[in-house]
Amino acid sequence: MIEILDVSLPIISFVLFSLLTIPVVKAIRKRKSKTTVLTLGWFSTVFITAAVTVANLTIKYYEQPSPQPFLNITLASEPLAMFSSTFMIDAISIYMAIIFTVVGAVTFLYSIFYINLSERPSERYYSVMLIIIGCIIGVAFSGDLLTLFIFWEASAAGSSFLMLYQKTPRSLHATLKYLVMIIIASAFIVYGLSIVYGITGTLNFWAVKQALTALEDKHLLVTAFIFIAAGYAIEAAVVPFHMWLPDAYTAAPASSSAFLSALIDQGSYYVLLRVLIYILTPPTVLEWTVMLAVFSALTMIVGNLLALAQNNVKRLIANVCIADVGYNLVAITSVTPLGIMGNLFFFLIGGITTALSFMAVGILNRMGFETLDDFSGIGRKMPFTSLALLLGAFSFAGVPPLAGFIAKYLVFTAAIEANLSWLAVIGVLTSIIQAAYLLRLINYMYAKTPRKETKIKEPKKLLVPIFILVAAIIVLGIYPTIVLNLIEPVIQQLPFIP
Amino acid sequence: MQSTLLLTLLLPTSAVPVIYLTGRKSAKTAAILVALIALVDIALLSTTIPVVLDAAEHEYVESYYWIPVLGSSFTLFVDGISLSMAIITLMLILTAALFSVNYMQEKKGLAEYYALLTVLFIGLVGVFITSNLMLFYFCWELMLVPAYFIIGGWGYKEPYRAAFKFFIFTHAGAVFVLLGIGAIFMVTGNLDMFEAQKALMTAQPDLVKWILLSLTAGFAVKMAVVPVHMWLPDAHSEAPAPMSALLSGVIIGAGAYAILRVSLGTVFPAVAVMATDFGNQFLHGLAVFGVISAFFGSLIALVENDIKRVIAYSSIAHMGYVLFGLSLFPFQEIMTGTVLHPEAMAGTVLHLVNHAVSKGLLFLSAGAVMKQLEIRDIREMGGLAGQMPVTATASTTAALSIAGVPPFACFISEFLIFVGAFQTIHNDNFYLLPTALMLVATVLSLAYALRYIRHIFLGPMKLEKAKEVPFFMKCAMIILVVFVIVLGIWPTFFLDLINTVSFV
Repeated sequence: MIEILDVSLPIISFVLFSLLTIPVVKAIRKRKSKTTVLTLGWFSTVFITAAVTVANLTIKYYEQPSPQPFLNITLASEPLAMFSSTFMIDAISIYMAIIFTVVGAVTFLYSIFYINLSERPSERYYSVMLIIIGCIIGVAFSGDLLTLFIFWEASAAGSSFLMLYQKTPRSLHATLKYLVMIIIASAFIVYGLSIVYGITGTLNFWAVKQALTALEDKHLLVTAFIFIAAGYAIEAAVVPFHMWLPDAYTAAPASSSAFLSALIDQGSYYVLLRVLIYILTPPTVLEWTVMLAVFSALTMIVGNLLALAQNNVKRLIANVCIADVGYNLVAITSVTPLGIMGNLFFFLIGGITTALSFMAVGILNRMGFETLDDFSGIGRKMPFTSLALLLGAFSFAGVPPLAGFIAKYLVFTAAIEANLSWLAVIGVLTSIIQAAYLLRLINYMYAKTPRKETKIKEPKKLLVPIFILVAAIIVLGIYPTIVLNLIEPVIQQLPFIP
Repeated sequence: MQSTLLLTLLLPTSAVPVIYLTGRKSAKTAAILVALIALVDIALLSTTIPVVLDAAEHEYVESYYWIPVLGSSFTLFVDGISLSMAIITLMLILTAALFSVNYMQEKKGLAEYYALLTVLFIGLVGVFITSNLMLFYFCWELMLVPAYFIIGGWGYKEPYRAAFKFFIFTHAGAVFVLLGIGAIFMVTGNLDMFEAQKALMTAQPDLVKWILLSLTAGFAVKMAVVPVHMWLPDAHSEAPAPMSALLSGVIIGAGAYAILRVSLGTVFPAVAVMATDFGNQFLHGLAVFGVISAFFGSLIALVENDIKRVIAYSSIAHMGYVLFGLSLFPFQEIMTGTVLHPEAMAGTVLHLVNHAVSKGLLFLSAGAVMKQLEIRDIREMGGLAGQMPVTATASTTAALSIAGVPPFACFISEFLIFVGAFQTIHNDNFYLLPTALMLVATVLSLAYALRYIRHIFLGPMKLEKAKEVPFFMKCAMIILVVFVIVLGIWPTFFLDLINTVSFV
């Protein structure tokens, strides 16, 4: 039996600390000296506490999941029992929680230095960020479709605040676009969920799955599936629902873009994975693989072609995010143990790489460099920031020994294994396009001569989190066994897949 | 020693930061350090020669824990072929580093240059000494990134344009290799070349055919076979001379090695057994592409006027010979299980070695000419033999070797390839026409080699200011001249090594 405290502690600790953050940051701001040390001290307390709670979960449940991996929290008595909430713990949710905590901590470190502490609403920014991390861990631990929906919408809606932070006309416009999309998406999802509830009489993952497996007439289910899949596809920015993403990530401050691409994006893939593979298992319930494969191909092609045409570097990275959605979908589509492994590895590596690219671009944007032209000769002026961006780009392009290579390798191999060789070929061809535009960026950074030949001082504090992530992609590229071993139990716990 | 091969890779890896830091103080020291590491690596590899020659299995293997989930262990392995390739690669790196001391003198950012050269070094050596496909691919791509920056950062004219072309072409090839490797893993659950070879025997024939085609197409891009050669003339001619020597000497050779080792060695036996007709056609196809490349390269080299482009096109021609040699893969013997004539394969591998040395020397001497004259049109040169005797000797030796004139290196290997070809005609008369055409192509190669020498070194003296090159450049060229002659007269050392490998 899963103890209620074990499950809820990570979520509770993030939410609680997020509320405390506002007065604490205000208090720190009033002091004249040692503000940086105090801020760092406070936030490391937050993350260490959270890490301890996640570690506790890992030790207790990771290797041997309890036979009954559900926890029901009943909020109402019998006639209203459907309003109860279910949590569940299995290897995949713990894995996601670990990633969210670790990557969240690093991106948070960047935000501390990127968002000026003395600015008025900065404490709210931090506190929203913490709440979102809590909610996204909640997504990972959800055990029924409604709980999942609530946590997921909370984190998705919360992210609009992070995009809006600078309150420029552009960011207002982008956030509005995002919110409209999110609201449409949640309407779709709610509609789909109500149909599922109507068919099965429950929203609990296991119960839904069992009910659906026994289902004879699948007409209604197809409708429900289309609504749910469309809803979550909007939030994951699958082409043709991708339009909000480049705007939102470009208009947001770099720390938000890094945070969102590393956490919210990965969260949205997780949701797709959970709903599609764990509940609507293709061979037994619904044959959705071909449809998804088409969307995945479309996303890879469109994302990469859009990126090829970009002149604004931040927008270019945002389009790489879209392409990444496509590569993730390839793995989800393949529904093989290898695919899930590739997927979970890609979650991590894709998140890290986009985050680090946004962070590096964020530093450069601060200096007033926005377009490819501005980036001319940046390699000599700001060697460290450029090096980070360079390694990030090579990791995207799938050049070993960086981690992006192993991720892509796993994904393509999974596609071949699932008899979707054509998808693997498209993936490979699009990744050549990807190499081309990333190399174009590198060409600008290193080959062109800068307009002014002056060295620029690089902000050392901001480089710390960037190089933590750079180290991660190098180490995980050379020795991916660290993470792959962590993923192993997840594969062991996939009894659903033949 | 227990971990000789691991040390061979670890030594340059750990030296990268040292070389970078040394290079910031004194570029010369850094260059000599690179050369020394190459020398130590040669010594390390040499310790495995007795094992390879004597042991029953004719190979030396080390294996370490790496990514068990992906069927990959960090397997380092040498047999006669990979040992020959690795040693000759190290020789070229050594001479390229020495040559760079004077050649790169006035350039900026030499610390980065030598650090990148060392990274390239790891990739190049790694490709030859592993039998794990994942590690192989790691090293394969590791060659690409430093080569891109060296060509782009220190090349001529619009170097980053050439480097971009090089990167995109070879990366595009590499992803198809990746697709093939992924499919092999999917079918066999293993990424060791030899294990996979056995496991593929029971796989689905159609899939194996595609794997073979995908891998070969990918490797052919690196090897610069016509029609995927477009990156080569630009990259080779715009790169700084030491880099051209490495590109033309060993990097494209690595493509040929990969076709031999992975396409033919690992995948082809399964195809040959399960789809005999297709296997036969595949080899014939290789022969056809080989002939086309040889003619295309030779003909353009004959009319090209840019000193380095002549050599670059001659590389395409020579990869044509190698591809033709590879098409003589002992197909009949795989079917019957008996070794009849090892000459063709031995000749092909030996040609890779000999071509590496000769072409390396030719590019270095061309670099020497360009460095002293600062022009690159061979029509404006002439009569340099009197002013630059060492360079002239080196160029002539190399050019004659490339043309296949005895007693220089390439003669003996081309001879062996043709011996093998005539033996194959005996079994398969398809090879009659390609062999005849290849013989014609050797005449063409003599023509462009002589034209090259005549324009640059003979005839009336057109330039007064030309002087002989400085010490280190001379040194590097003399080392390779000695190699070209010794390999021509006494190829036995490498032949013995290569002949320990049986393909059946």
